Amino acid sequence: MNCELAHERIVTAAYQELPDEHIHELDRHLAACPECQTERDQVLALKILADAHPVAEPPANLVARSRLKLEEALDALPPMRWYERLSQRMINSFASLQAAPMAASLLLVAGAGAGCLGGYQFAQNRAAHTAAVLASASAGQQPAQQAPAAPAEIANISSIVRQPNSEIVEVRYNQVVPQRMQGSLDDPAIRQLLMLASENSASAGVRDDSVGLMAAECRAGHSCQAAGIRDALMVALRYDKNAGVREKALQGLEPYVAEDVRVRDAVLEALLYDADPRIRTSAISILEPVEGDTSVRQVLHTVAYSDQSPQIRTVSREVLRRVPEIQ
Amino acid sequence: MAATTATDGANGGGARTAQERLQARAPEMELIREAQAGSRLAFDTLVRQYEHQVLRLALHLTGSEHDAEDIYQEAFLKAYRYIGNFRFECSFYTWIYRIVTNLCLDQLRRKKTRKEDHAVVMDHSGDEIDRLASVSDERSFSNPAKELDRKLLGERIQGALEKLTPRERMVFELKHYQGLRLRTIGEMLSTTEETAKNTLFRATKKLRTQLAELR
Repeated sequence: MNCELAHERIVTAAYQELPDEHIHELDRHLAACPECQTERDQVLALKILADAHPVAEPPANLVARSRLKLEEALDALPPMRWYERLSQRMINSFASLQAAPMAASLLLVAGAGAGCLGGYQFAQNRAAHTAAVLASASAGQQPAQQAPAAPAEIANISSIVRQPNSEIVEVRYNQVVPQRMQGSLDDPAIRQLLMLASENSASAGVRDDSVGLMAAECRAGHSCQAAGIRDALMVALRYDKNAGVREKALQGLEPYVAEDVRVRDAVLEALLYDADPRIRTSAISILEPVEGDTSVRQVLHTVAYSDQSPQIRTVSREVLRRVPEIQ
Repeated sequence: MAATTATDGANGGGARTAQERLQARAPEMELIREAQAGSRLAFDTLVRQYEHQVLRLALHLTGSEHDAEDIYQEAFLKAYRYIGNFRFECSFYTWIYRIVTNLCLDQLRRKKTRKEDHAVVMDHSGDEIDRLASVSDERSFSNPAKELDRKLLGERIQGALEKLTPRERMVFELKHYQGLRLRTIGEMLSTTEETAKNTLFRATKKLRTQLAELR
């Protein structure tokens, strides 16, 4: 250590600002350098001398006077307007960001990360949902739903299966994607599907199943309103191309021949015009409760003379012969 | 020594941990936030906390109650106006002292220009040379053997201090009388600790020269 550096360090050491490692070095130098020892003594003497001009406490009057003047000056200041305060806050915020580039960068990275994660999760959920829909579409299965879609949304009914010895049926129908619904035969939603199946299904088997089930319901005395299942059965009896379906519809209408004129008319139409002799024969037997009615007798007369089937003509005549006896 | 009166930032770097200092400053930070939000009461409380230290420094540096009063008022008015810019990067003590030291420096410079317009010249290297330092003082109190009472000694020291450049005077004042650490002084004067140390060294050297005959 040279003396020039030692002189600087003597001042620093006198004010307790010299690091420990330099203190030992300085001590070693001072021990060997009388000139620097004198320098140190002079610095210490100056310190003592300077204390002869101590810092005085400000007089109370000065404090009070200064405070009063300050308060007056502060009172005279116009209050800061809201936009001034806002602009000051914005400037501070900007300055804080400038002063903390690391924090700003971290905030940016965290925001970007959260955005990416959110986007990724959203995309995953969307993909999973799409995959589930496609999978169920390809498997022809859709989770059971409690409420069926609106009739207009149903494309067709693909199958109907009744569980053995129970009221439960499973109806598979198609919307844009195949769907499935399971419920009791008394369930209005199921009934609605059955009626749709009887009218719209391209598959004769499905129509046969639906009409068969509805007919069974009617024969069992379950709710079979005129405006609901009964109408569907009459439509099936009149217009279905499949004889088996028409036959089941006829059987389902049997309990209502006596009480419902519309049913009776539908059965008479079947007797007159149905192409299948079995149905015409069944219609004659079904009309037994009302064979005394005029309209029925007229139809029976027509059938007795003009039906293509000799057996039907014979049966009709037998019924007509019996009618006067009944009357 | 007056160094013992210095508070935060002066000698707090020793045993107290940063967390303890923060806890101690918590109520003050709350006051500052309220003042930033426009609370006059909070600002007044801050003024009460620091007014004695501000006046003490200004009075000792300027040697004039009138100047100290002006510095006090201007410093706190500035603080009130710009407290919204305070961002807690340093202690409020350092911040208010920075304002005060800047005002004191301006005052010292004005005073020096008025009083010693012809006394200070620059040498070829840019350093200040005090002509008065080379002129013998014939006033009665210059003889320490006769007039070495405390009052006159104080005046002599005050005279020696006034011969320092404003910056040297400020560093010596803050270090010797206010007891601040060189790092804090550097922060207040917007310079480095090393520069503050060099300035202190120059100041002590000049003072020793000025006061050599008193020892």
